[in-house]
Amino acid sequence: MSSAAGGGGAYSFSLTTFSPSGKLVQIEHALAAVAQGTTSLGIKATNGIVIATEKKSSSILIDDSMIEKVAVICPNIGIVYSGMGPDFRVLVTKARKTAQAYWKLYGEYPPTRVLTQDIATVMQEATQSGGVRPFGVSLLVAGWDKVRGPSLYQVDPSGSFWAWKASAIGKNMINAKTFLEKRYNDDISLEDAIHTALLTLKEGFEGQMTEKTIEIGVVTVPSPEDLVAPPGERVKPVFRKLSEEEVRDYLAL
Amino acid sequence: MSPTVGPVSRDFNPYSDNGGTILAIAGEDFAVVAGDTRQSEGYNIQTRYAPKVFRLTDKAVLAVNGFAADGNMFVKKVKQRLEWYRHAHGKDMQLRAIARMIQTMLYAKRFFPYYVYNILGGIEEDGSGAVYSFDPVGSYEREACRAAGAAQSLVQPFLDNQIYFKNQTPAIDAPFPRHLPLSHVLSIVTDSFTSATERHIEVGDGLEIYIILAKGKTLSGLGLDGVKGLSEVTSTVDDSDGSASEGESLAEGERIFVLRRELKKD
Amino acid sequence: MSIMSYNGGSIVAMVGKDCVAIASDLRLGNQALTIATNFEKVFPVTDRLYVGLPGLATDVVTLRERFRFRVNMYTIKEEREIEPETFAHLVSSTLYERRFGPYFVEPVIAGLEKGTNKPFIATTDLIGCLTLPKDFAVAGTASDKLFGVAEGLWEPDLEPEDLFETISQTLMNAVDRDAFSGWGAIVHLITPDQVITRTLKARMD
Repeated sequence: MSSAAGGGGAYSFSLTTFSPSGKLVQIEHALAAVAQGTTSLGIKATNGIVIATEKKSSSILIDDSMIEKVAVICPNIGIVYSGMGPDFRVLVTKARKTAQAYWKLYGEYPPTRVLTQDIATVMQEATQSGGVRPFGVSLLVAGWDKVRGPSLYQVDPSGSFWAWKASAIGKNMINAKTFLEKRYNDDISLEDAIHTALLTLKEGFEGQMTEKTIEIGVVTVPSPEDLVAPPGERVKPVFRKLSEEEVRDYLAL
Repeated sequence: MSPTVGPVSRDFNPYSDNGGTILAIAGEDFAVVAGDTRQSEGYNIQTRYAPKVFRLTDKAVLAVNGFAADGNMFVKKVKQRLEWYRHAHGKDMQLRAIARMIQTMLYAKRFFPYYVYNILGGIEEDGSGAVYSFDPVGSYEREACRAAGAAQSLVQPFLDNQIYFKNQTPAIDAPFPRHLPLSHVLSIVTDSFTSATERHIEVGDGLEIYIILAKGKTLSGLGLDGVKGLSEVTSTVDDSDGSASEGESLAEGERIFVLRRELKKD
Repeated sequence: MSIMSYNGGSIVAMVGKDCVAIASDLRLGNQALTIATNFEKVFPVTDRLYVGLPGLATDVVTLRERFRFRVNMYTIKEEREIEPETFAHLVSSTLYERRFGPYFVEPVIAGLEKGTNKPFIATTDLIGCLTLPKDFAVAGTASDKLFGVAEGLWEPDLEPEDLFETISQTLMNAVDRDAFSGWGAIVHLITPDQVITRTLKARMD
């Protein structure tokens, strides 16, 4: 057997072959891809959730208004990622389809946990199928539903997922998590959580933090009245992305 | 060579269904015959006021439902036969005799029937309220109540329950009454028609309820004085102002009143 | 002869004050011939949600199992009981899957919402078009009769025992005028703290 490139030995090529130590080396590599990605984080508050990320373009010539790192999946769920952008885009498309299929079947959008599990299943299948590689992303899924209220999940390339009160992924995740551990408390409000999110990103942020280099999505826990649609209108979405103006205002504070 | 011209068959259907519903209930000393006034063909409303209930004599009222053209012609012929009877005998035909005559007239057209369901209501010789119901070819029976027409299937089971007390068990010390009071009967009739109007597209617009009272009976005696929209149509009374004024009546025999009600027009 | 009336049978559901009721006849026929008088058409979905399936008997049994499967999968995956409105949509989409080769069944759904105990009733046609009435829902070979009697007897805010009386009388008097329905009847009365099931002493002819 050849001791081929990568330094992982013979096991580094086969996606579906365990190494003697019990690891699937390709998944380790996928996690490494995530660790190179820009930092993203999420914080669950009493009345909502914030997810945030930095977006840095490799060249000033890139039109960064086209880059979208926080994505709306359905009116009650949004996700953010660290890692490989194209892989994220594929997952967003699949997740949106899943959410719409669920709506078609049950007349309501999926609970956060169910959608997270569906995405995680897609990612797991990429670790066990022939001819594919694992997704090079970790996700933070923020959503609200009648069953569990606001919830924040992290999904990794292996397909495993956990619920968090606050978490960070990507390049600066170790430091960010340490920072969040110090700042987090159980009765933090959404407004405070947004500020904590920005402060956390600021640690280890290279360059200027502006509305152009930050993306923020928030879940706002709806009141019972919010869930009743006015005649001829739709219920206002529980998850939304903050506009550049709103981000600028938060940064100014 | 010219194409062969074979026999050509053309369909012509001489019948049509004009919707609507009729209903009659017999009391101890009165009878009530009612019908809505909508006349329709398919999804078209031809008129919102086409009476289906007709006074024949002072003790007989006939309701006709089905094919309106046949219905009107049939009523016309029944009235004609009743007039001949009056000329021949100098009195009105008895209710049970009218019923038998209607059977004969319907069966006479056994092979090209009047496409009509008839319900005859009135007062018998013995002073009791009676209802006779017919099929289009003359099969008939005397009953206490009957619904016919478009909403028969909606109304009849309701009547079974409310008039015959079907599926109800009487209290040991209070058996069910054999006959219901007039005011009660009238509320069942209006409820039946508002229900049918709600759920059947061919029923609605207006309601005409004919009330036939036995000899010597008065509306006030039946707890019905001062009811709005009530007018007397007994042959001996000219009630042109449309108000049934009690006591002024010259009628000595049976008396007939009409009660008109609006039904939903959608 | 319509496939919908091949086996006969009728269902009615009604809303009361903090309660709902759903009732059916017990006849299974082969056209005019009565085969069985113990054929139930109303099935529990959860302990506060029932579904009635009048129509072609073979489809009644198939759909019952299909709904059981789908509800069990839902319960396991979502770690919760299915709500009446969600179940109604599940019924609707399950039937619409067979838009061009339908199950010959017109389901009636009755239940109480979790937490609020708000009454819920619904019906769909055989391809899953949902209707959500405020008062009552009927289906089956005696549906026109049921409409007529229910329209006359039902009133808002009936207490559980009055609702039971109303739905029982509606069902019995309607099926007594229907040759394809009757031969016994069963009523399920769903209240916030229990479901009362009673078989009625009905006409057997």
